[in-house]
Amino acid sequence: MPDFLLPDLGEGLEEAEVLSWRVQVGDQVAVDQIVVEVETAKAAVEVPVPFAGTVSALHAPAGATVSVGQPLISVDRPDEGSGNVLVGYGTAALSSPSGSRRRRGGRGGERNGSGPVPVVSPLVRRMARQAGLDLSTVTGTGPAGIVLRGDVDRALQARGERQAPAAETLPVARNAEPARPFATEPPAAGSPAAGSPAVGSRVPLRGARKAMADKLTRSRREIPEATVWVDADATDLVAARAALNARNPQRPVGLLALLARFTVLALRSYPELNAHLEGDEIVIPDHVHLGFAAQTERGLVVPVVRDAHRLSTRDLSAALAERTDAARAGRLTPAELTGGTVTVNNYGVFGVDGSAAIINHPEVAIVGFGRIIDRPWVIDGQVVVRKITELTLSFDHRVCDGGTAGGFLRYLADCVERPVTALGDL
Amino acid sequence: MTAVAHSPTPAAEPVATGLLPEPAARQLIDPAGRLSAGPGALPPPGVLRELHRRMVLGRRFDAQATALTKQGRLAVYPSSRGQDACQVGAVLALREQDWLFPTYRDSVAIMSRGVDPVEVLCLLRGEWHCGYDPYQYRVAPQCTPLATNTLHAVGLAHAARLRGEDTVALVLVGDGATSEGDTHEALNFAAVWKAPVVFLVQNNGYAISVPLAKQTAAPTLAHKGVGYGMPGLLIDGNDAAGVYATVTEAIGRAGRGEGPTLIEALTYRIEAHTNADDATRYRERDEVAAWLARDPLARLETYLRGEGLLDDAGAARLRDEAEAFAASVRERMNADPASDPAEMFAHVYAAPTAQLVEQRGDLLAEIRGHGDDEHA
Amino acid sequence: MAMTSTLDRAAAAPGTAPAPVTMAAALNAALADTLAEDERVLVFGEDVGTLGGVFRITDGLAARFGDRRVFDTPLAEAGIVGTAIGMAMNGMVPVVEMQFDAFAYPAFEQITSHLAKLHNRTRGRVELPIVVRIPYGGGIGGVEHHCDSSEVYYTHTPGLRVVTPARPADAYRLLRQAIACPDPVIFLEPKRRYWSKDSAELTTSGPGIDQAEIVRPGRDVTIIAYGGTVDTAVEAAQAAAEEGWDAEVIDLRSLSPVDDAALVRSVRRTGRAVVVHEAAGFCGYGAEIAARITERCFHYLQAPVLRVTGFDIPYPPPMVERHHLPTADRILDALARLQWDDDPDVRWLGPDGDEHA
Repeated sequence: MPDFLLPDLGEGLEEAEVLSWRVQVGDQVAVDQIVVEVETAKAAVEVPVPFAGTVSALHAPAGATVSVGQPLISVDRPDEGSGNVLVGYGTAALSSPSGSRRRRGGRGGERNGSGPVPVVSPLVRRMARQAGLDLSTVTGTGPAGIVLRGDVDRALQARGERQAPAAETLPVARNAEPARPFATEPPAAGSPAAGSPAVGSRVPLRGARKAMADKLTRSRREIPEATVWVDADATDLVAARAALNARNPQRPVGLLALLARFTVLALRSYPELNAHLEGDEIVIPDHVHLGFAAQTERGLVVPVVRDAHRLSTRDLSAALAERTDAARAGRLTPAELTGGTVTVNNYGVFGVDGSAAIINHPEVAIVGFGRIIDRPWVIDGQVVVRKITELTLSFDHRVCDGGTAGGFLRYLADCVERPVTALGDL
Repeated sequence: MTAVAHSPTPAAEPVATGLLPEPAARQLIDPAGRLSAGPGALPPPGVLRELHRRMVLGRRFDAQATALTKQGRLAVYPSSRGQDACQVGAVLALREQDWLFPTYRDSVAIMSRGVDPVEVLCLLRGEWHCGYDPYQYRVAPQCTPLATNTLHAVGLAHAARLRGEDTVALVLVGDGATSEGDTHEALNFAAVWKAPVVFLVQNNGYAISVPLAKQTAAPTLAHKGVGYGMPGLLIDGNDAAGVYATVTEAIGRAGRGEGPTLIEALTYRIEAHTNADDATRYRERDEVAAWLARDPLARLETYLRGEGLLDDAGAARLRDEAEAFAASVRERMNADPASDPAEMFAHVYAAPTAQLVEQRGDLLAEIRGHGDDEHA
Repeated sequence: MAMTSTLDRAAAAPGTAPAPVTMAAALNAALADTLAEDERVLVFGEDVGTLGGVFRITDGLAARFGDRRVFDTPLAEAGIVGTAIGMAMNGMVPVVEMQFDAFAYPAFEQITSHLAKLHNRTRGRVELPIVVRIPYGGGIGGVEHHCDSSEVYYTHTPGLRVVTPARPADAYRLLRQAIACPDPVIFLEPKRRYWSKDSAELTTSGPGIDQAEIVRPGRDVTIIAYGGTVDTAVEAAQAAAEEGWDAEVIDLRSLSPVDDAALVRSVRRTGRAVVVHEAAGFCGYGAEIAARITERCFHYLQAPVLRVTGFDIPYPPPMVERHHLPTADRILDALARLQWDDDPDVRWLGPDGDEHA
């Protein structure tokens, strides 16, 4: 028993008022026979019924308003056909599914009451999120309190982050150098880089490497350093070391440990070189936290042996060895990588004699010694072959002058040349 | 390179009277169904009977389409009831190689050209913007922005001429459309290029509700032809025989390379603009009644019966044919067409761009998602 | 199959580049070569026949190919495009000219309601391989209506292709590609570059009609430009190099469809982008590019995508035009705002450091 629904009679009309019925219940109607006259907003329209049969119901009396899509008339058809329900175009929507709106399972964004934290770029925001860093705990040092990349880096460092996520490549800083030399083949034709010149490889600066890079840059930028150096005859030192190790092979003493011990001794006499600057003040601590350069897979790290002034030479050597192992295994915490008051370097392991080293900010001195090799030396007017090493000291010229620096280095050199004389200060 | 001289004192030319319409609208058969005194030969009986038959079918189709609209099967239907002589007469004059450029009101004309009626109604049903292959029937898509297809007709005809082909384009225009700039440009281009085009203006007196007097101050629309250097003819648009004869003559001129013709056919739109219109707001019932008395079918039937070319049996057969035709259209239109949303992306360019392929994928996924939900 | 022009250029010494050719001459060569190869091609518009076009782009063509192929029309832009549509429906390949950007507007309905839609309307049966050539843009000291950048009216119309060459050799290539394309193409010619020259070979081989081209590779930032601003962008990139920025310049070539892949590849590498166009910034083409890059490269962006554009004003008179058009300096100013060294762009921050609109 199909219903004829009121169609949209005028391109977007929504309803019509029944003016008059031309048929009544029980009448036989033919296809396209006019059965009713309705009034729309635009015109009075005579409406033909689309199927033939017996009228079984009129769904609205004259004067009533019918919405588009509502039944107008029902007709019993002799052959129950398709049961097509006719709906007009326009406002009686055909298309939307009757089901409920699709669930999307939203989780919502970071909900701190005050809205998103301003961050210099979406890249940095993502860095923070991936590291689980809550941006609202980060102090933004940019204008208007914008959180800068440096702010996130520092926050992560303080928290002990050592590595950045490896997922996608972060762009290289403008002044970074490629880690590998230029590739020898040109890129394949048709590849995106085909139009650009060969640029080798790109290694992103991140994590510890980035932190070190920032620190080194800062050192160079802030510290007016100068360097003094001296060659020293280490023949006796080498012999002394051999004697020490023969005496107790289980607890060996390395050359670095000996240099470090002498450095600690020397700092007693030249405490300025153990200091740091706070504003306009030179602060001289009463301890020595000794940093030393250790080369690891992840690059240069500077582990710190705390209270090195309290350690015997053997203990110091053991501590240096242990720190080095820990550094290589990546087990050091940030606390163990910061807080040094002075740094020592062994350049000999690189096969070189010394360098105009970069001071480990906020320290004011960095001590180094190089290869110990046979060289001609003059003793009592005679040229002899001795084991010679170069000692270098880079120092922050704000905290002391050449006299102090030279004095310190001379003291070290004396210890190296005549280790026994160090006994006087032990 | 020939220099075209622009003289400050052009020799005075008499007005090309051959371009102006005669004062009285040409007519071959008058409203009472009698032979008229107008110039031109009456088409042969076979043609007259075919004109009548096509008008009977066309009118029944028009009524059916009107009913389907009131039943919600068509979104809109602009009826041509009353303009049957133009719809049928002009199209029957076309040769197979000629082209028809119709508007949205010319469904009967398109059908008379041979296009499947369901394809004709595809636009008005809301299924697609054009339901037929223009090249299969040499009928351009139904044009909704009025007058814009007059230029297409001129271009197509001109291209044919450039290639040495004998093709004439017939473009149907309403009285309102003659105000559009594109009509002016088309008439101008056609005349300058001597393009083989026939412009047939079905002047039914109203552009929806705006009467001719507000559309033009010209004495007749046919008078506009002289402005372009093109002959303008004024004819009785309810005289199918006259329409046929005049359009045939214009096609002949164009085909011989003599250029375009502007024909104004005086006729009337019995129904409102569309089902959504109320014509009583701007037309008097007396006017409508007067034009009903000039009905194109009635007059031709009277003439045919008078000449013994149509009898009761013949008329009954025609009625049956028309009913069967209407029933088949109704039945086919009652079935829901299958619409494929992916088709929206298929013909934007010759081949879809990467972006379109992506968007199509998004839509199909969205539709599948709805489907999943309904089964959830 | 790539084709090389038969243009009769002054013979160059062996081993040297071909003699330089202006963009106008390159376009002329493209038309001539196409007319010679394809009988269906017609070239028409106002003043394109006898005069050879107000910019001489069609110079000599009517004499060489006759007025059946190359001809003048009445002064009626809708008529030019509308009849072109009819001719294309009947198997011809019309290449029409609108004399200036703003004078194309009367044809706007034919372009948007029919040129763009007939293929779609007829479910693919009607093909309109029409090219509408439009000189556009300013920088020539032209009076009102002669300097508009109307590209977005067309790019916003689905069904149209919109392309614009920046340099002479590419003008040859792109026009030949446009004429060979089955889709209707709006071919925008940057009139300020009509007289620029280059020595590159005129050939159709090279990037396809829908591909962008990297005209200057770089690592630090992507400058995206088209038409008249490509040269400006290259000039800016050269100056930028002195300031330490290695800029990549992309010539979009095709505005619709746009080469998303090229843009994404570049910006994911550089992390920074600037779009340059003459047209007004508001609702301009740069807005679309900025949105697309932001969506597709968000996680690689070091800074917002900036646009260097004309102001939101009707194109100004010749005497003040130079203040309106994007310059290399303005591009450099934009580059400086791209948050280098963790230094945020403060352009939209108020004096107290509050965000303000």
